[in-house]
Amino acid sequence: MMIALDIFLRLAAWLFLAPLLPGIINKVKAWVAGRRGPPVLQLYFDLAKLWRKGVVLSTAVSPMHVIGPAMAWVAILGAALLLPVGPAGASLSFRGDALLFIYLLALARFCIALASLDTGSAFEGMGVAREVSYAVLSEAAIITALLTLCVQTGSVSLATMLAPSAGAGAALLAAGLFGVLLAENCRVPFDDPNTHLELTMIHEVMVLDHSGPPLAAILHGASLKLLLFAVLLAEAVLPLGKLSLLQAIGALIASVFVVAIAIGLVESLLARLAFRRVPLLLTTAFLFCLFALLVAWKGGTP
Amino acid sequence: MTPGWLLLIAGCGVVAGICSAFKLPRVWLAATLAGAIAAFAAAAWMLAIGVVWDWQPDFIIGGEKLHLQLDGISAFFLILLSVLGGAGALYSSEYWSDKDHPVSSPPGRAWWNGMLLNMGFVLLCANGLHFLIVWEIFTVCAYFLITRERQRPETRAAGWLYLAASHVAMIFLFAFFALLAARTGSWELGPMREHSELAPLFWLALVGFGIKAGIFPLHIWLPSAHANAPSHVSAILSGMAIKMGIYGLVRFTGWLPTPDTAGWVVAALGVVSAVLGVAFALGQHDLKRLLAYHSVENIGIILIGLGFAMIAAAHGNAVWGQLALAGALLHVWNHGLFKALLFLGAGSVLHATGTREMSRLGGLWRAMPWTASLFALGATAIAGLPPLNGFVSEWLVYLGLFDAVSARGPAAFAAILAAIALGMTGALALACFVKVCGVVFLGLPRTEIAEHVHECGWRMRLPMLVLGAACVAIGLAPILFWPALVEATTAWQPGLVNALPSAPLVTLGAFHLALAALVILAAIFLWRRVKQNGVSRAGTWDCGYAAPTPRMQYTAGSFAGIITGWFDWILRPQRHAHLPKEIFPAHANFTEHTPETVLENIVEPASSLVMRISMAVRHLQHGRVQSYIFYLLLGLAALAILAVMGGAK
Repeated sequence: MMIALDIFLRLAAWLFLAPLLPGIINKVKAWVAGRRGPPVLQLYFDLAKLWRKGVVLSTAVSPMHVIGPAMAWVAILGAALLLPVGPAGASLSFRGDALLFIYLLALARFCIALASLDTGSAFEGMGVAREVSYAVLSEAAIITALLTLCVQTGSVSLATMLAPSAGAGAALLAAGLFGVLLAENCRVPFDDPNTHLELTMIHEVMVLDHSGPPLAAILHGASLKLLLFAVLLAEAVLPLGKLSLLQAIGALIASVFVVAIAIGLVESLLARLAFRRVPLLLTTAFLFCLFALLVAWKGGTP
Repeated sequence: MTPGWLLLIAGCGVVAGICSAFKLPRVWLAATLAGAIAAFAAAAWMLAIGVVWDWQPDFIIGGEKLHLQLDGISAFFLILLSVLGGAGALYSSEYWSDKDHPVSSPPGRAWWNGMLLNMGFVLLCANGLHFLIVWEIFTVCAYFLITRERQRPETRAAGWLYLAASHVAMIFLFAFFALLAARTGSWELGPMREHSELAPLFWLALVGFGIKAGIFPLHIWLPSAHANAPSHVSAILSGMAIKMGIYGLVRFTGWLPTPDTAGWVVAALGVVSAVLGVAFALGQHDLKRLLAYHSVENIGIILIGLGFAMIAAAHGNAVWGQLALAGALLHVWNHGLFKALLFLGAGSVLHATGTREMSRLGGLWRAMPWTASLFALGATAIAGLPPLNGFVSEWLVYLGLFDAVSARGPAAFAAILAAIALGMTGALALACFVKVCGVVFLGLPRTEIAEHVHECGWRMRLPMLVLGAACVAIGLAPILFWPALVEATTAWQPGLVNALPSAPLVTLGAFHLALAALVILAAIFLWRRVKQNGVSRAGTWDCGYAAPTPRMQYTAGSFAGIITGWFDWILRPQRHAHLPKEIFPAHANFTEHTPETVLENIVEPASSLVMRISMAVRHLQHGRVQSYIFYLLLGLAALAILAVMGGAK
């Protein structure tokens, strides 16, 4: 009973807090640009509106168009269950859950990709092709990051892997994971969430034909994924598992804020890269993770 | 009933099938299915009870006493054989029916059973000579199955290439078994790990079995054979026949000592096969050729596991080695199941449309909902995604690799590279199957061929359902299959500790179950919400273009373009482009073809060099007596010189 309650409360917290992050990022971007910007809670309003709206379905689509977003949302939720929160650990933790975590995110990618190819649009084809291609490199980087943590702690379970800090290589790992975070969540310089030209989008063009509740599921899932990556980044770098619960949660909130502000600043100060440069930047992120791995290797036995 | 009796029934069923194949197709089907079920029961019995069945009657074939043995490894592969053999037989009764193929269908049934029977004997034989005999018959049966459509030149070429490659493999196996028999003084096979002088023979076995398994770069025969064979044959070739190569490797790395470097080489070949196999797959536009390259990829994943198990065995039997081996063996099953499912699905598409060219298809889900959903299930499984079986086996291999890294043993650096490669392979396979499902089944029909299609009948659907259900079962309840894995791994190397505590399959299974249930619930919930809010229909967003046509949909080639661009150095795609030039361009076209690089750039030049040299040498033989007398004189002179020079001693 307690376990069920615990899982329920955590899930509620994840689901409820996730849409906050894009709001903060947009606020930062607005401030840098000297605008007032949309309210921080804008995504909540959008989601509520979308959930009530009717749906326009393309004449080409199969049921996958609607089922896909639902499956992706559940997959990301499953990944959230596996991610520990400081000393409180994860609601579900077992050996090898780190791998399940990244494969659940891959499952979400698979479902969204099929749901958007379903429309038969060449624009969405381009977006999906970019998404799944760049994911190859970010997958390599994130596996390397996990290997770093595994070398550091001798464990394959996220709760143990993320408890201590990444040690001497923390800065390298943070840089690598931040790159992966930007790529996987389609932020500048990999993708511009605010762009208006279909030909140059990744994530936005994939959901071009989605509307109503399925779009709400996709947007909510995307914000949850962003939060997961921000928390993963914070926990990989900081020794949150060693702090007391209150301290850890305070530090976690503060560091997620820092990550969000950093994303906002990157989006304000950088332009989106040309697509042929994207693999180079992702390879750089991979190399950061690889050097972090080497540092962890040299850093002595756990 | 003991396994012996069950195996006898299985053998009788399959033989009865051969006898009835020509005149009585229904009897053939019933006998074959009965045989498959009996073989399944025998293998399952062995894996459940754990008692090795060993039978040595006073029965002499070719001067050697018959010796059949069903141990954990044999039973493990026999189960897969029986499932795929039965499923393929049922499928073929509709797919390759007498009505559509009056000439090629009846002998096809006989060859099918012949292949099943001999593959079964390969798994059971514990005598080198008999192993070679049944291996050769199985190879030849497969040749006749591949060339069912002999009237097509591509099929004849594919069959010829297969036969040639298989016989190169056969030469290596002859050498392997002959040297083995010469050094041990007997054709009997069995554990002989203490004879360390036998270790170098491993390299012969690696090439011989490696060609059959389709390890990169020995896979040259595989894509064309799989693409041109009838689909149920492709399914068993990919699901089982190439696994016979893996069986050989597992069997003889378990029984014989191996050189120190063997494990490293196997793991390295695995990494190369996995990454390049999927890269080549992405470059394909032919549905079945694409699936064939994925076999190379999955063989790579299996070899990564096997290779690390061998490294672990050479370094004091670490637990991570057993995890890697369990992952590899489970992947043998999983790949057999989902790849057969995918090939049968591709067969349904081919049956309905008559083309394997993906760029001509599209939107097939409307007419073929069963095929489309089952193919999507297989795609999810082969991309290694939870909650299906592909993830479970890859997860076990990953656990082995991560443990090898954190153990900081000699294999740690190799394991780091292998884990990263495995991650990239997974993401590449995902990209490839998004492409396949999207282009073939989703969107709108690209050509007329794809508009008038029909769903396959129940005899084609049922085998796919069975295979799909097996994929789901292994994914949702992996723990049920763990005892079989333990049986097989301990047969490989006795005395291995049970690695279950380091692989919490119960928790993983429970998570998968919950995930599957939640996915279904969420899908229903969202679906109902959409209905409730009201649905209106409109065309796909076309950016304001006035006259969009289905041909404007993204093609398979463009989709894979980014990734195939990264692999241009090895894929060497041939592109012919007529780009639009003037202000009002008349016509433009673009074609792309990814050839088999190893075949066209290495094997073919090498063979033509050999051919040229042979042709040059042939001039010596022309039928003119004078020249022959001249050769004789030259020979005599050479002998005389030799005698004179030697005589000085």
